[in-house]
Amino acid sequence: MKNPLEKYEVVIGLEVHAQLLTKSKMFSEAPNQFGANPNEMIGPVCSGQPGSLPIINQTAIDLGVRAGVALHCKIHEESVFARKHYFYPDLPKGYQISQYERPYCTGGYVEFALKDGSTRKINLVRIHFEEDAGKSTHASHGTLVDLNRAGVPLIEIVSEPEMRSSEEAGQYLRKLRSILRYANICDGNMEQGNFRCDANVSIRLHGAKEFGTRVELKNINSFRYVEKAIDYEVGRQADALEQGEKIRQETRGWNATKGVSEIMREKEMAHDYRYFPDPDLPPLVISPQLIQKITTEMPELPDAKRVRFIEEYQLSEYNADVLTNSQELADFYERVAKGSGNAKSAANWVMNELLGRLNAVGKEIDDTPVSAENLALLVKNVDSDKISGKIAKTVFDEMFASGKSPDAIIAEKGLVQISDPAALEAVVKKVIEASPSEVAGYKAGKTKLLGFFVGQVMKETKGQANPGLVNDLVKKHLDG
Amino acid sequence: MLSRDEVLKIARLAKLSLTEKEIEFYQQRLGRILTYVEELNALATADTSVVRTIPKDAVAFREDRPMPFSDVRELLKNAPASEADSFLLPQVME
Amino acid sequence: MDFNRLEILDLLEGYQRKEFSPTEVAQSLLTSIEKKDSEIRSFLQVRPDVTLDAARAVEKRSSEMQKLPLYGVPIAIKDNILVTGWQATAASKILKNYVAPFTAMCVERLESAGAVILGKTNLDEFAMGSSTENSGVAPTRNPWNTDRVPGGSSGGSAAAVAAGFAPASLGTDTGGSIRQPASLCGLVGVKPTYGRVSRFGLIAFASSLDQAGPLTRSVWDAARVLECMAGYGGKDATVSRSVVPKYTENLNESAFGTVRNLRVGVCTSWLEGVDPEVRASFEAAVEKLKELGMRPVEIELPNVKYALSTYYLVATSEASSNLARFDGVHYGYRTPNPKDLNDLYCSSRGEGFGPEVKLRIMLGTYALSAGYYDAYYGKANQVRRLIQQDFEAAFEKCDVIASPTSPTTAFKIGEKISDPLTMYLSDIFTLPANLAGIPGISVPAGVDSGKLPIGMQLMGRHFDESTLFQVAYCYERRRGALANPPWRSKSGAGA
Repeated sequence: MKNPLEKYEVVIGLEVHAQLLTKSKMFSEAPNQFGANPNEMIGPVCSGQPGSLPIINQTAIDLGVRAGVALHCKIHEESVFARKHYFYPDLPKGYQISQYERPYCTGGYVEFALKDGSTRKINLVRIHFEEDAGKSTHASHGTLVDLNRAGVPLIEIVSEPEMRSSEEAGQYLRKLRSILRYANICDGNMEQGNFRCDANVSIRLHGAKEFGTRVELKNINSFRYVEKAIDYEVGRQADALEQGEKIRQETRGWNATKGVSEIMREKEMAHDYRYFPDPDLPPLVISPQLIQKITTEMPELPDAKRVRFIEEYQLSEYNADVLTNSQELADFYERVAKGSGNAKSAANWVMNELLGRLNAVGKEIDDTPVSAENLALLVKNVDSDKISGKIAKTVFDEMFASGKSPDAIIAEKGLVQISDPAALEAVVKKVIEASPSEVAGYKAGKTKLLGFFVGQVMKETKGQANPGLVNDLVKKHLDG
Repeated sequence: MLSRDEVLKIARLAKLSLTEKEIEFYQQRLGRILTYVEELNALATADTSVVRTIPKDAVAFREDRPMPFSDVRELLKNAPASEADSFLLPQVME
Repeated sequence: MDFNRLEILDLLEGYQRKEFSPTEVAQSLLTSIEKKDSEIRSFLQVRPDVTLDAARAVEKRSSEMQKLPLYGVPIAIKDNILVTGWQATAASKILKNYVAPFTAMCVERLESAGAVILGKTNLDEFAMGSSTENSGVAPTRNPWNTDRVPGGSSGGSAAAVAAGFAPASLGTDTGGSIRQPASLCGLVGVKPTYGRVSRFGLIAFASSLDQAGPLTRSVWDAARVLECMAGYGGKDATVSRSVVPKYTENLNESAFGTVRNLRVGVCTSWLEGVDPEVRASFEAAVEKLKELGMRPVEIELPNVKYALSTYYLVATSEASSNLARFDGVHYGYRTPNPKDLNDLYCSSRGEGFGPEVKLRIMLGTYALSAGYYDAYYGKANQVRRLIQQDFEAAFEKCDVIASPTSPTTAFKIGEKISDPLTMYLSDIFTLPANLAGIPGISVPAGVDSGKLPIGMQLMGRHFDESTLFQVAYCYERRRGALANPPWRSKSGAGA
């Protein structure tokens, strides 16, 4: 179907699992460390030995509360840990300790902007604590199970099914990730698996009151794929409906290589998890004092920073949103803006030149070869007419490649803009004398030829002439 | 007496293989016990407060300090099969 | 010298007077086990070299004897409690070759107090049973009469102490599994208040009911073991942080003054259907309590008749969950040729677990399953609260509650195993204490005409083991020595 969105409305709800930045696991003392050798970071509790018992990591709770505050949730004074039973090799106890009927947070919301500048507010259903499972790797002769990840603390953040486009889903995730990173709750790295997203996608006719059958989409392991996977799934469902088929409620995995979603084999025939409150743990008590303490200690979060950026730096909603995407990026931008004294220009350079280039080589702002101080200097150089905007781009290229300061590069390459009228006059005269036929053409009325002369002067001066000044001088000599 | 289907359904959830004899045996035994425990339904418990078994002064928390286990190889030693520090399952997963 | 008849107090005094040493005692007991346990089958594992090494290590600390309240005392440990380097099989095929990678908190504390681990004892598989006939290895025999059961599930622990192989052992009690075998074997057995002793290192059966505790030949000995093994430890979220009292401090003449005028609650309606000799013995015991100055008070426990149903839903539900980890993947038995993952699970568990265990897992799975939770597990927990309230009300009127420990004396091996409910009824007096979380102690009250032991149970308020020990101590002194217990016979085992 060509454009499913003309006929159908998309309904998306997202479930995010975020690993908490603790040093040890949720219920086990074993270290919470990514990338270790198999089964190096395990102990009796997370490997489910007989006789082992869970003890709650206080910091995990603190980080969870921080998330609840940052996402404007209602944080419950008492919540309950429950056992969720299923059999799988990466789940050593045969159950996962999670929260079921009484999670620690309900409600809350995430606000973000879209490309067209409009804003969205997506409500959350709940957030709850749970422990992560281990990893199984399939080899030719069998399956290898590594329990390093088993027991790592997670919060599961469930949104209401209020998103209506794949773009909304992508922006929601980016915003959620940035809040969690700002508040040092989670690293937000999808590729490393510490920030995971499942999407519930359904479609219905515009104006319909009932929701369509929803499909759960898993295995989206990069931000790049979120919009793609959802768009594909919407298309698939629309095609099915158009052909008179019914959508089956199922779980599908995103296959990035093929660019399609595929049915996943069910882990359990019937999902009867037999939840019951874990008798090894008392109810989780989160006191108002703890919430107060965590609220007071909260760093400036993206929304507050965004609002401040809009006011202080006169940025658009969208630009402010992009620049506050991460703590590091926001800090970087502020240093450029303050250092150069030109917030708008700073925003352009960071967003249009720097970010694009970093993205292309797969780097983050943390690894920028161009320092904030140097970029600020570059902006100042343009503002003071030391170099033209065009030359600045060349300088920037070199800055990105070498990490050198703009002043060093300008000096090395002799790129200082020529703004001395006397010097330029000489070149202008030379060019005019060398092109008599164009002069004649210009005087005959082809005023567009002005550009030709300007171009020739720029060529003569290797682009270093102040273009505005050249324009004026050429005009003066031709007209005069 | 529970039906054969009911016993098989429970055995599936509990991941227990049963022989034919066992199915009959459990149909009977489970049936008997379930009949016995029916007596609880007669009791009025609507206003009963939640049962609390854990002492009020129990502390469920610990500091976020990683304590590596003394020897993780001991944990692998009890594995039915292992390879290169991983637990090993035979070719049974798709 | 025959160490099999010595109590812990005797051993400590003997060590103090340098009459004998921990290695001598350990060696003697190990020899006794080697010679006579083939008949009783109380032990599943002994490691003489390890035990003697431990005894020698303790001896090196003889100068600190005063600071080691269990200096050189050999203790047998039920095989569902982990001790590093020793097996921990729970008497199940599914854990046949499992070697414990860590030590249970309660055992660690005993070792710190100078105790020496003598061996791992037999039990009903995964502590599910009341006779030790459900052991995946072999049934244990009662040293008082080897045709009979020692009780269960801590039957091995009870038999080991009754046979004179050990002065003390650890058992676990979920529905009576320490108290009932203590009663059937003429011993003192204590189930502490839920949350008094850490469950870290106990192979879990029912998390909200399990407690580890001592089986000994005297009340003083039980008090000494409990005061050493109890306490927080930081690895169990369900343990009280309160300081563990030194229970033995009050077990002397001063106890008589304390127990005088205490009120002892008796629920007469509860005693219906009890074996007449057991009843007679119990009533005589209550008379003795009166002689001590205690005042019997009639109490009501209107909901204890539902204890069996409540227990069998709560305990099996929790057990079905706790035993989900035995799946043939990370440890334990794995079926040899599974055709797929589901088969690996089902066959490993189907072949590895015994029939009683499977029965309870299925019952528990059913009680937690979708659509049945409210009627079964949910409802049972509500009734549990009613039972707790019964005890709260009763303890307004009395300070301890007395009952027989078991409705019968030791039954014949094979006698009850065919009908689950008959077997389950053995626990009728002990179940309520687990459901309410209160402490209970069984003390020998006499023997029946077949010379089989009868026990009296005393239950107390939460964390009031002190009172229980004092009443039990005074009663024990009043009652006098037991006639011809098997640990005092020449051979040391078997009547």
